[in-house]
Amino acid sequence: MKKYRVVGQDVEKVDGRALVTGQPVFTDDFSLPGMLYGKILRSPYAHALIKEINASEAEKLKGVEAVFTYKNVPRKAYTTAGQGYPEPSPYDSFIFDKKVRFVGDRVAAVFAESLSIAEEALSLIKVEYEELPAILDPEDALKDGAPVIHDEPEIQGAHDPSRNIVSHVDLEIGDVDQALRDSDFVVEGIWETQYAQHCPMEAHIAIAYLDERGKLVIRSSTQVPFHARRILSFLLGIPISKIRVIKPRIGGGFGAKQEVLIEDLVALATLKTKRPARLELTREEEFVSSRTMHPMKVKVRLGADKEGMLKAIEMDILSNTGAYGAHGPTVFFNAGSKTLPLYNKAENVRFTGNVVYTNLPVAGAYRGYGATEGYFALECAIDELARKMGIDPLILRQKNHIRPGETSPIFKKLGEGREGVPQTVESCGLEECIENGRELFEWEKKRSLPREVAPGIYRGYGMAIMMQGSAIPLVDMASATIKMNEDGSFLLLVGATDLGTGSDTILAQIACEEIGIPVKNITVYSSDTDFTPFDKGAYASSTTYLSGEAVRKAARKVKEQILTVAHILLGASGDLVIEDGLVKEVGTGKTLTLEEIGLRSFYMADQRQIQATASHVSEVSPPPFAAHFVEVEVDTRTGKITPILYVAAVDCGVAVNPQLTRGQIIGSIVNGLGFALSEGLVFNTRGMPLNPNFLDYKVLSSLDIPEIEVILVETHEPSGPFGAKSVAEICINGPLPAVANAVYDALGIQLKKAPFTAESVLRLLGKI
Amino acid sequence: MRDFKYFRPRTLKEALSILTQERAKVLAGGTDLLVKMKDGLLRPESVMDISFLEELKFIREEEGMVTIGALATHSMLERSPIINTKAPHLAEASRSIGSPQIRNVATIGGNIVNASPAGDSLPPLYTLEAELLLESEKGSRIVAIEEFFTGPGQSIIEPHELLTAIRFKAPRGELLTFFQKLGQRKALAISKVSVAFLATCAADKKFLRKVRIALGAVAPTVIRAREVESFLENGSINEEMVDLAAKLCSEEARPISDIRSTLVYRKKVTGELLKRGLSQFIEGVIS
Ligand SMILES: Cc1cc2nc3c(=O)[nH]c(=O)nc-3n(C[C@H](O)[C@H](O)[C@H](O)COP(=O)(O)OP(=O)(O)OC[C@H]3O[C@@H](n4cnc5c(N)ncnc54)[C@H](O)[C@@H]3O)c2cc1C
Repeated sequence: MKKYRVVGQDVEKVDGRALVTGQPVFTDDFSLPGMLYGKILRSPYAHALIKEINASEAEKLKGVEAVFTYKNVPRKAYTTAGQGYPEPSPYDSFIFDKKVRFVGDRVAAVFAESLSIAEEALSLIKVEYEELPAILDPEDALKDGAPVIHDEPEIQGAHDPSRNIVSHVDLEIGDVDQALRDSDFVVEGIWETQYAQHCPMEAHIAIAYLDERGKLVIRSSTQVPFHARRILSFLLGIPISKIRVIKPRIGGGFGAKQEVLIEDLVALATLKTKRPARLELTREEEFVSSRTMHPMKVKVRLGADKEGMLKAIEMDILSNTGAYGAHGPTVFFNAGSKTLPLYNKAENVRFTGNVVYTNLPVAGAYRGYGATEGYFALECAIDELARKMGIDPLILRQKNHIRPGETSPIFKKLGEGREGVPQTVESCGLEECIENGRELFEWEKKRSLPREVAPGIYRGYGMAIMMQGSAIPLVDMASATIKMNEDGSFLLLVGATDLGTGSDTILAQIACEEIGIPVKNITVYSSDTDFTPFDKGAYASSTTYLSGEAVRKAARKVKEQILTVAHILLGASGDLVIEDGLVKEVGTGKTLTLEEIGLRSFYMADQRQIQATASHVSEVSPPPFAAHFVEVEVDTRTGKITPILYVAAVDCGVAVNPQLTRGQIIGSIVNGLGFALSEGLVFNTRGMPLNPNFLDYKVLSSLDIPEIEVILVETHEPSGPFGAKSVAEICINGPLPAVANAVYDALGIQLKKAPFTAESVLRLLGKI
Repeated sequence: MRDFKYFRPRTLKEALSILTQERAKVLAGGTDLLVKMKDGLLRPESVMDISFLEELKFIREEEGMVTIGALATHSMLERSPIINTKAPHLAEASRSIGSPQIRNVATIGGNIVNASPAGDSLPPLYTLEAELLLESEKGSRIVAIEEFFTGPGQSIIEPHELLTAIRFKAPRGELLTFFQKLGQRKALAISKVSVAFLATCAADKKFLRKVRIALGAVAPTVIRAREVESFLENGSINEEMVDLAAKLCSEEARPISDIRSTLVYRKKVTGELLKRGLSQFIEGVIS
């Protein structure tokens, strides 16, 4: 493989020093004179009509500058989902509506001189509700006579709102029923995931103000500044040219910020009062009223022949999108499109199901984007099949997984809420992932050990394999601009959105590798809709792969411009290279500094700005692959599951920055272990969340996290920048099935409902 | 949080006088109080910050009596040589509370007056049959810890009274103790169930003499498991005894279902925690 100078290096994060020295880099580090503080009044009911709302007392309160309810804002159906245009999510939301659809839904908003005045004003708003019957279980949504959650006439893009169905799929390749009848072994089960929240350290926050031109500027913790601008323009009826969205540093997003959740309100307040306005969600609002993972019930049936070759896979899903359908169809499609191609040896595949509305919090994009729910079911079913056949589940996986040069009809059949794009898998290191993981983990040796290690204490060993995608093919576009200064330094301008993920650093590395300069010679400016070129934003595992390729293309063009000048200056006819910021003529050893080139271009001859812009759209979405292995200890007296060792072997193509890559892998495994062991919102019988806080919603602490060994299996993806694919999401898919499989291995109990609490373990053991 | 008057007395005397005049809410480490104030569950008119009263930050042993100032933090307790030798299970419980940051400011007095049945220092204090010193301008009284609590978050302390010290007789002879706690994760977790155990045993280490067991988070207040205590007293620890004690212990627990766990689970695991704790002694000290 080609040796790179900057790519493949653990380059220090370009924003690292500013972050650790506490520079004012976040949205909230920014305060403007005369800024108003906003607060949202939220529904106490799961489903109700607002019979009357009277805000006059609130408006009279001293210090209150604006109060918004459905009565004084535009009524336009839209989606909060920050996706490409036209969005595949239904238009079923309003800034405010006469109807509330979950506990925590928007009722009104107040902007005032201080937060405490805004809070007091909320209590002065009089609302009379007429409570409606609510749907708190997704199974009930489909029943005859179920309440209709979206009966508004304006709704668009939902499959059948009168039956609470947001999206429906009935897809079959081959003949699944026949193949199952012909199979020697058949397994089936239903696996269920919970309401989990992203828990970014920084809650959603936005500040709006008018600049000296009268332009509306919004500084927001968003993953999608350009989509936010487009959606706001549509919603508020102001031209895109009058809106500028800036994304500063962000304290994590994980999908929760691939939404426009508060920007509309600060915009309204600023447009009305001409004053800066700020709105920040509280942690409780973040849990209840921002976005969550889609709770799903995933039914899987597998059929295999005597040799252990899969003949049929059936996946049927009931996905709960909550009160609004943001990302509902696409997350559901992904649960199939990112999982089923992994076992492409099965010729008969069926993918069916419904996404339904309920009167519960709104699910949205969450790292993994449906694949996590799909893999929990699929990879547990594979283990069950192996048990039924009496073979090692690792071997069953080896027999059936996709290989380089192969394809799956699913790639074409399932896309972004519609048909996808056919593709052949070019780079695939899954075989090595399984091999290297098994060796480091000592799979066979461990599985031959006695499971009871002390009285009542059992160890178990489980695994799972997985894939994801890299960007949304033929939908999403990214672009980049690179400019050279006269001292030979560079500016990289990207619309791409660094959420703390390190993408500014990765993109700098790609630019520098292509041009031939060290990272210290480039400054990255990102995510400002007025000053950086378009990028779809941070989602779908696409920044390194898609934005990275746009950066590489721009860098290539800039390099060509530099070399043109260099040829003239050196009077050279032979090949020129740029290394470490120096232009060299191959063979002669003649050199030239970039400063000499810059000064000439700016001031002397053939004067021009050396710069280039490039855009990129991908025709494929090359999957990264991974194999995960986990050792758990289960205390059968208390039911507690403790992960002991986790091994993740991952093929993400070329790792542009290995340290950041490991960070993504470890972070997503920890996140997935949280789903497996402790995370989950709990509701009472009226749809009210009981644990929307860090006291009772348990994210794993550092003491709960096992030793995690990461193995990078490098492959070279021809369509990616310097061979790179994605790594941001894939590894969140492993912990649920790997832990469940390990617990089965320890005790012979099947955990099919996440999280796997100590209570559920004792219940399955028949002890309580 | 709404505005409130803030007092910071320099002496205990001053504190007691402010309490009488102002009916101020006491703030020690603030790790319970501020959470409640931020959530709007408490909206005191005035708050008295006693965290500067050095005279209440001590742990000492005199003539077989261990006395702990109400402002001793959990960090002080977990490190104190006195506590580690005279009441190792109290040190263990202190070590299990919250995180280092919480333990550095949270006090034993706050843990007691907060009166949560899941307060982790309480079960060990029950087994030590600790006494609480309540002082006010009018005088002082001493209350047995078991008499202090009346329900979740409730106790007999009067608004003008301050808890100033906790004391207990240092148990004598060979000691066997443990504190077992089960939370939803390893740190920063409120106990679903906790069990504190204290026993003295004969010099020959053959028999348990006095046995004290207290259970946390399984009743409206911390409770003593008296049936189990008398079952174990004057017996030896073997597997059969431990199994029976665990069963008895589950029966004595009177838990509820809530957001953190279920009734049946808590009942079952109360016994299991006792068993886990006692099992370490089977082949250990006594066999
Ligand atoms: C993140 C976190 C984790 C936690 N983890 C645990 C845990 O694992 N286990 C556990 O048991 N607790 C835990 N707690 C709860 C809390 O830290 C403890 O109960 C602590 O001991 C309270 O002490 P404090 O000094 O902070 O009390 P404060 O909050 O200052 O006071 C608590 C109550 O007692 C009153 N009070 C305090 N001192 C006196 C006094 N001397 N006289 C009269 N009244 C007084 C106050 O008025 C108030 O009502 C946790 C809290 C947090 C925030």
